[in-house]
Parts: sequence; C-alpha cells; structure tokens
Amino acid sequence: MWKFANLRVRQMPEVLIADDSEFMRNLLREILEEDHQIVDEVENGVEAVEAYKDKEPDLVMMDIVMPIRDGIEATDEIKSSDPSANVIMCTSVGQEEKMKEAVKAGADGYITKPFQKPSVMEAIEDVVPS
Amino acid sequence: MKVDIQSLGTFNQLAHEGAQQATASMAQMTGIDAVVDVTKITLVDRADVGDELADQDFVGVQFDFEGELSGRTALVMDRSCSETLTDALLPGDSTQDMAESGVKEIGNIMMSGFIDGWADYLETTIDHSPPTYIEGVGQDIIPPSRGDEGTDQLFVFKSQIEYIEESVEFYIYMLPDYDSLTDLMTTHADTEDDAIPIDKLQVFNRMSQQGTRKAAENVSMMTGIDTEAEVSQISFARIEDVPKQLENSRYVGTVVEFTGVPSGFLLVLFDETSAKNVAEAMMPVEMDGDGLTDQHTAAIEELGNIMTSGFVDGWANVLRTSVDHTPPRLVHDMGQAILDPLAAQVGQHQEHAFIVDSRMRTDDVEFEAEIHALPNEQELREALDALMVERAEETDANPDEIFQ
Repeated sequence: MWKFANLRVRQMPEVLIADDSEFMRNLLREILEEDHQIVDEVENGVEAVEAYKDKEPDLVMMDIVMPIRDGIEATDEIKSSDPSANVIMCTSVGQEEKMKEAVKAGADGYITKPFQKPSVMEAIEDVVPS
Repeated sequence: MKVDIQSLGTFNQLAHEGAQQATASMAQMTGIDAVVDVTKITLVDRADVGDELADQDFVGVQFDFEGELSGRTALVMDRSCSETLTDALLPGDSTQDMAESGVKEIGNIMMSGFIDGWADYLETTIDHSPPTYIEGVGQDIIPPSRGDEGTDQLFVFKSQIEYIEESVEFYIYMLPDYDSLTDLMTTHADTEDDAIPIDKLQVFNRMSQQGTRKAAENVSMMTGIDTEAEVSQISFARIEDVPKQLENSRYVGTVVEFTGVPSGFLLVLFDETSAKNVAEAMMPVEMDGDGLTDQHTAAIEELGNIMTSGFVDGWANVLRTSVDHTPPRLVHDMGQAILDPLAAQVGQHQEHAFIVDSRMRTDDVEFEAEIHALPNEQELREALDALMVERAEETDANPDEIFQ
C-alpha cells in the first residue's frame, strides 16, 4: 500500500471567472487551468456574487462591462460581504476614472484586455502569491 | 475662434443645395437624371483629403474662387463616368481633346451653380478662375489646398452624386481657405451658446486618431495581424445622410451605446470576409463549418468590445471622466440597415450629427475594419467646452500607478 502521509499536496488556487464574453472566458480558462482550478464561469455581476458566495474561490477574475450588473458593482458587493476576497478586474476598459472606481469598490488588481499569459500570471502573483 | 452648430448646418445645407444645382445643370445638359446622395463637412488631415477615392483613374476640373469665401474646388469623376457624360453631350466618337473640353465645360457649368448659391447666401460675389482639367489616380486627383501651411487639418465639403440608371458617380470637393472659412463661420454665428471652439474640435479629431491607433494595436495583439490605423476624421452631416456613411453591403460587427458626456453610439464593423479572417486569427484552433459560425461571432463580439474600449478610453482620460458603455450587441446586416435606427434615435433631438469615421487595414490578410461614432451633438459640445487642450496627449492611464 502506498503511503502519502509525508507527501505535501499543494492545492491549486480556485478561481471564478466572470465575463459576459464566451470567447474571453475560454481564453482565460486556457491561460489559467494549468495552475489553477476554475470553480465556475459566469456571465454577469449578479451571477458573480452568487457564485462567489457559493464557491468561495481564492480569486475572482472580474470583467467590468457586463449585462444586468457590472463588475464594479459586483466587486463592491463581494468585498462588502467578504473583505478578504481577492478580485482582479480583467477588462477592456482603460479609463483612469474607472480604475479609481474599481479601487474604491475594493479591487485588488487591474489588467486590461487584450492581455497575454505573462501579464495575467503577474497580476495574479501580486494578489495571490504562490 | 468658435464655430456654431447653426453655421455648420447652414453651410452644409448650402453645399448640399449647391451640389443639387450642379446636378440639375448636368441633367439638363446630358439628359441623365442624377441625385445628390450625401453632402458633409469633414475636418480631416491635409494628407487624407480624398482618401475614400478608390485606386482608379479619375478626371475632373478644378477652380480657385475668391471673395468673402475663398479657396479651391474640384469636381472629379472616374474616367468611365466622363466617357458616359461626353458621349451624352457629343454622341459618337470624340477625340481626347474633345472629351477633355467636354469635361471642362460640364465642370464649368456645374461648379458655377455650386458657387453661386454661396454667393447668394452671403449676399456678395464670389469670383472663380477658368476651369483647369485634371486627371490622376485615386486621391492624387484632388488638388492641394491653398496656403494655410499653419494648419494640418482642413474643413472639406464633399458631395457624392449618383446617376440614376447609370453606374456612375462623381464627387464635388470644396477646400475653403482655412482662415476664410473660419472667419465666415464666426461672422455668421447666431448664438454663442452652441458654439464649438475650432481648436478643441481639432484636438478631438486628434484624440479620435489616437483612439483608432489604440484599437488597431489591440487588433494586432489579439490576432497577430499587423494592423494600421488608416484614416480618422470628423464629419458633420444631416441626420438623414448619416446612414449613407456606410456602403450598402453586408457588415458584421458590434454596436454599443455609450453614456456620460458625450453619450451616443459606437460601431465596430467588418465586411464579412474580414470578419471571418480576423476571427480565425484570434482562435488557437481551426474553426469548424463554413461561413460565419457562432465561434466566429463570439470572437468578433469580444474584439468589438476591446476595440471600442481602445477607442473611447482616450476620450475619457483626456476629459477626466468615465465613459460607460453597454455590452456589445452583435450586428450582421446591410450597412444602412445597421445605421438607420441609431440615426433615428439620435435624430430625435438634433437635425445634424457629428460622425467620427475611422478605418484600419492590413496588407498581410484581407482585412478592413471601420469604427463609427455617433455622439449626441449637445453633449459633445459640453465635452469640448470642458476639454483642456493641454491634456490632449494624456489618453493613456496606467493601472499600476493607481493600484499601488
């Protein structure tokens, strides 16, 4: 019988992806799934809040422009209920005022689309160090 | 120096009526019915005047005009169009000299009608030089504007005229001397309330050019296709002419409604072949199926979203505001059918509209994209009022500085 008692198993960080674009969700999943566990993918801010409460992931990759409720409002709600939540805004919006709104809502990081894997991994490392 | 919206509208109307007068003269001479398709005033880089002319042989006439309004004007048509017209005037074989003479005479009569309307409105006389025959390929046919070396952007009046039942069209370009036109606009400004400072309009044009470059960079980054911003310009046209900004062919792309100051609509459009090519360049694996699949349209939707942000973020950063927009709505239809409902919505509150037109292309793959913005006129005026010219270069924001 194999014994695992002394083997240290490193858990992969759990990530929730919130983006209304199926294309972008696929792209993020491809970038992340090697080192992260994708616990859920949702399409709007309301679903993001619900999924966060349900799955309590280590990290949320949050788009800003989404239907029903945008990513900044969803971030505000998640951070209000769980200040230790980690949220990275992952958006095409590159406006200074919007970045300030994201900071105010409690976002921990901000990456702008289009992005490549290194910049995504760097932003995650800043927020959730391995 | 300021221009008011009323003057821009009046001058656009004058140019339109002038073109109609010119077209009526033409129809009387040749018996060929024609209509003025669209007339608009465009603020454009000197080097981009006539950029919309395809790379084919054009002929035409040019004049200089002097008076309260001075400048240069040109009537251009493709060579086959000139042959149709001269044949209508002089049926049977005609020599090259005779054809040139015919074009000159047609041009002379048409352009006199065009200039006379301006003179009547201004209650003055505007003299023009004898016509000079011109020929060239594409935009090379357009004569250089006179003087004004101090300004790199020009106001150009352009009318597009189409013949009914004949596949020919021609264009009237009017290139007023910059100072002459702006003086005239200032003199004829009816109210200070709806005036736009010209320097700020030029800065806005530059911001749009920067936005187009940013959108092109985003395309390059997402697709690996080296994409260049080709031209970006601001036009002012009657609401009913707005849908005619697009070719009457099928487009695929996205529409977003943006809110804030200014509010309005922004369209990112591709022809069908370009849409397919660019979507496939975005995907790591080959797509299944012929034509545009759901995978293609999902990719186009996201690309449209990212290009939209690339385009409007600069406005927001320079204006120190945020410009929110709805999630992109996919459109796949004839160009005018896409623009019609948007123009109708904007037209509930205004008779004329500013339209920002940008194009990008690449030589490697068959690919062209267009961005069209249709801002609310009054809100654009408010935004320009608030614009600080010295912030014009500050189009980019750095999240690392804000998230320190």
